[in-house]
Amino acid sequence: MKTTGFLAAALGGLLAATALTSGALAQSTPIKIGVVTPLSGTYTPIGQQVRWGLELAAKEINAAGGIAGRQVNLIFEDEEANPSVAVQKAEKLFQVEKVDFLAGTVNSGSTLAVAQLAERNNKLAATTVSFADSITTDKCSPNMFRVNARAEQQSVALAAWLAKEKPNAKVYYLGPDYEMGRSTVAAFKSSAEKTGSATGGEVFAPLDSKDYTQYFGQIRATRPQVLYTSVAGNDTVRLLTQLQDFGLLTNLTVVGASGTVTSQNIGAIGAAAEGFATGVGYSPQIDSPENKKFVAAFRDATKADPDLYGADSYGLLFAYKAAVEKAGSTETDKVREALRGLTWQTPQGAKTIRAGDHQAMQPMYVVRVTKGKFDIIDSVASDKAIGPDACTRF
Amino acid sequence: MRDRLTNAMRASHVLALIFVAGALALAVIGAATGDTFYLRLGTEALIFAGLALSVDLLLGYSGALSLGQALYFGVGAYVSALTLLKVPSFWLAMLAAGGATLVASIIGGLIANRVRGVYFALITFGLAQVVSKVVYNTRELGASDGMIGIPVIDIGFGPFSVSAGNPVGFFLIVLAIIMGLYWLTAYLLDTPFGRVLTALKANEKRVPFLGYSVWRARMFSYVLAGLIAGLSGALYPMLRGFVSPELMFFATSGNAVISVILGGVGTLIGAIYGSVLLVVLKSIIGSWTEHHLIVIGLIFMICVMFLPKGLIGFIRPRLEERLSEKTPDATPLTSVSLQPGSAKP
Amino acid sequence: MNALDYLQFVLAPQVVNGLALGVAVVLVALGLTIIFGMLDVINMSHGEFYAIGAYAALALGAAGINFWFLLVLVPILMVPLGMAAERLLIRPVFDSKDRHVTTLLVTFGLALVVEDLLKVVFGPNTQRPPTPIPGATELAGIIVPNYRLFLIVVGAAIVSAVAYVVYRTRLGAMVRAAAFDRNMAASLGVPVALVYAGTFAFGVALAGLAGVLLAPIYSVFPTMGRDFILLAFTVVIVGGMGSIWGAVVAGLLLTQVQALASLVISPVWTDPIVFGTMVAFLVFRPQGLFGRLGHA
Repeated sequence: MKTTGFLAAALGGLLAATALTSGALAQSTPIKIGVVTPLSGTYTPIGQQVRWGLELAAKEINAAGGIAGRQVNLIFEDEEANPSVAVQKAEKLFQVEKVDFLAGTVNSGSTLAVAQLAERNNKLAATTVSFADSITTDKCSPNMFRVNARAEQQSVALAAWLAKEKPNAKVYYLGPDYEMGRSTVAAFKSSAEKTGSATGGEVFAPLDSKDYTQYFGQIRATRPQVLYTSVAGNDTVRLLTQLQDFGLLTNLTVVGASGTVTSQNIGAIGAAAEGFATGVGYSPQIDSPENKKFVAAFRDATKADPDLYGADSYGLLFAYKAAVEKAGSTETDKVREALRGLTWQTPQGAKTIRAGDHQAMQPMYVVRVTKGKFDIIDSVASDKAIGPDACTRF
Repeated sequence: MRDRLTNAMRASHVLALIFVAGALALAVIGAATGDTFYLRLGTEALIFAGLALSVDLLLGYSGALSLGQALYFGVGAYVSALTLLKVPSFWLAMLAAGGATLVASIIGGLIANRVRGVYFALITFGLAQVVSKVVYNTRELGASDGMIGIPVIDIGFGPFSVSAGNPVGFFLIVLAIIMGLYWLTAYLLDTPFGRVLTALKANEKRVPFLGYSVWRARMFSYVLAGLIAGLSGALYPMLRGFVSPELMFFATSGNAVISVILGGVGTLIGAIYGSVLLVVLKSIIGSWTEHHLIVIGLIFMICVMFLPKGLIGFIRPRLEERLSEKTPDATPLTSVSLQPGSAKP
Repeated sequence: MNALDYLQFVLAPQVVNGLALGVAVVLVALGLTIIFGMLDVINMSHGEFYAIGAYAALALGAAGINFWFLLVLVPILMVPLGMAAERLLIRPVFDSKDRHVTTLLVTFGLALVVEDLLKVVFGPNTQRPPTPIPGATELAGIIVPNYRLFLIVVGAAIVSAVAYVVYRTRLGAMVRAAAFDRNMAASLGVPVALVYAGTFAFGVALAGLAGVLLAPIYSVFPTMGRDFILLAFTVVIVGGMGSIWGAVVAGLLLTQVQALASLVISPVWTDPIVFGTMVAFLVFRPQGLFGRLGHA
């Protein structure tokens, strides 16, 4: 180990020295963007979409001449969906690879920890996946940006649709029993109650529950018209297929968080996903020339459909490109200023980064699963869904 | 005249000195080149080496495999983080973390030490599982997001003070603490009471006939191990500025066990080498494949089956021979290990 | 909610649903308790063998093989795998001084490798085979899916068959003899090495069978092996190592306790209750409900 350590340290030093002397040549060297995302563990499928989205965007940007004439170079590190690994890998990218920008974190714990690290390294970072409200509200950071929709934007859109579709419905809530699950249920409940829904009851099931049938009795006894759930991944597969097996899906509208049914688990859920509705910032069905071009290119490159994570990650690089070209530099302070208030085009439509909390404002869609595809059934303008700026740090 | 145990321990101490020399060289090179990342990665490896040390104290000396040692590491980290958020004092944080893990490991020890062998492994596993789930669900502790915003503190030694944000300074402080814990453990194991622990692993049934309390010895080593894990954990938020419930998860405990097996069970210094080795392995493998679990798993299995004394078991006997040339009556120690081919279960 | 609703919608289905989950847990724990009780080996990779069975059912089912045939084929395919694992990983360390810890560590390493291999081969996404028996039956207002009724019946049949083989046949007697006193059994002409390998493979095949049966209900993904492991170990300890009837009673009881606790207290408490039960048994009745097979 000793020699490796020495070699590594010596090499690192050497690299640092060359970086200093070649400062004058910076204009022609590539722009390095670090990506710390889960490539192993439970969140692998999400990390895969992040990677595909960013790789496609980098390919297109590079083919069109790069950012301000400089090529984009993506450097990936596996964060194992563990904040302590994420921080270690992010520090490597900042310190050793000297990346100009960082993206990719998925779970909100990793995003928050990386935001703090970015501050201490005076670099900028962005998330394209984490939707916990705290990231751009009470735990906002001047060095972190979010280009995907947060939980509140999703619930506002979904609740507005629900009020039209099922006025004054009785809603039952089933969330995963951890912070994210509880806060998404609370956010949707307050949005839904504002638009006239009644609350039938709520239950929180432990993460990775094997069997949801033990809650079905309470659900049946309440006789709700709508079931809201914010479980995700394998848990959704089990919940929805078990609901179907027990014949509970007839006469029940199931709605949920944007991460509840995704392209990763919809195949396994099968027919039980039919009719599921959620509020999201993206659907491959968006009917615009930009999106059709993006979906075709994405399928071409990956043999898979993009989902919200792929699309938001794809869009991020274009925001960064616009900001760097506007700032005329990759320096942190200048790019931060350029990103604030930036409006740019994405396959999802125009997005604007709100200067006050670094949260992207974007049109929100309500999508419903029909024959295994997400059909857009409603949309909410970006300014209607965003909610007040609750960030007080800057 | 020295006996075999002392001789083995002396060989470990020589390896410990080599380790310290290597670490100091890294610090010098790091300082000279203005490196931050490798020094801080090294600091993190040292912190997790403290956790591995505590696993080895249990597994290598009293023969108890803990699959949940990260519990005490996490308790130390969380208490240290909570203290630092209120009062940014290094000594107060260490004191609070030490006190909390002392209490936690006494409670845990009272439960886990009712059983032994594989049941001990399952109980420690379950205990960590349950506590980490509680932390994961407790809003006051940041729940699943963990806690960020732990300040970069200044560590004062009388008139001098070093910032935890200074890569070289903090690396040296952590090195001193972890090696201090190593020497303290080695010293305690060399006392007559420590020898009882070693006897436990060799033949637990005989120990009571020699007039020693098995329970007391096991309890002592359990609490000492918990304390070592907790004090190491207390350093984590000072380095990284946050804590998260993943620190208590099975992956953390599992990594410590892997480190001990890689480095060599029952050698103490092996745990420290193993921990550094694991960090290096992960970063090398991680740069060419995301399927590092396959490689780490295979190396781990090979070590358990064919290198039961790990890396140190490979090196130390040669060192012991050199050392014992001066004391002809001592022979290399081979009994304190997971060695195949010796008697019934 | 009135009392009648509570009884009809909540309590009564709870018992029936708990029964199906209980059978699932017993099926997973069965192989574990046999390997643990007879070979004295802690198989930490048992969950991964369960996952391999589920993936095999998924892949072979997608290739057009009938589910009913898979119920026989997959366990048979698992046997050579189990034999190989025993020969390569367990036997070399079987006689080590601390067999429990060493076998636990080796199989822990195996679990890491298998989990990652499954991801390399089948990808990280969740998959699910179609439910072999669709539809549900309504009995006095309680809805039970047909496949769960089938699972309860088949589970009972499997447990009875395994118990018959172990307790009532000459083969079972040989296995129990080898577990009780290896040297004595060998001197009486029992091929001990073969019996050990066969027993391990049998446990692995049972895990594979559980994978085939449970995949349609609980879906298939690379980390599925970790799902049942704490619960299965608890069932083995509470039931008594190697005791088949103990595993049945403990499996059914624990899942009912869990189900009722999640109703009456809160779902979050299900894990601590399972763990608490395990600790209580280890401390007060380490031999479990039914004592240990072959070591009575």
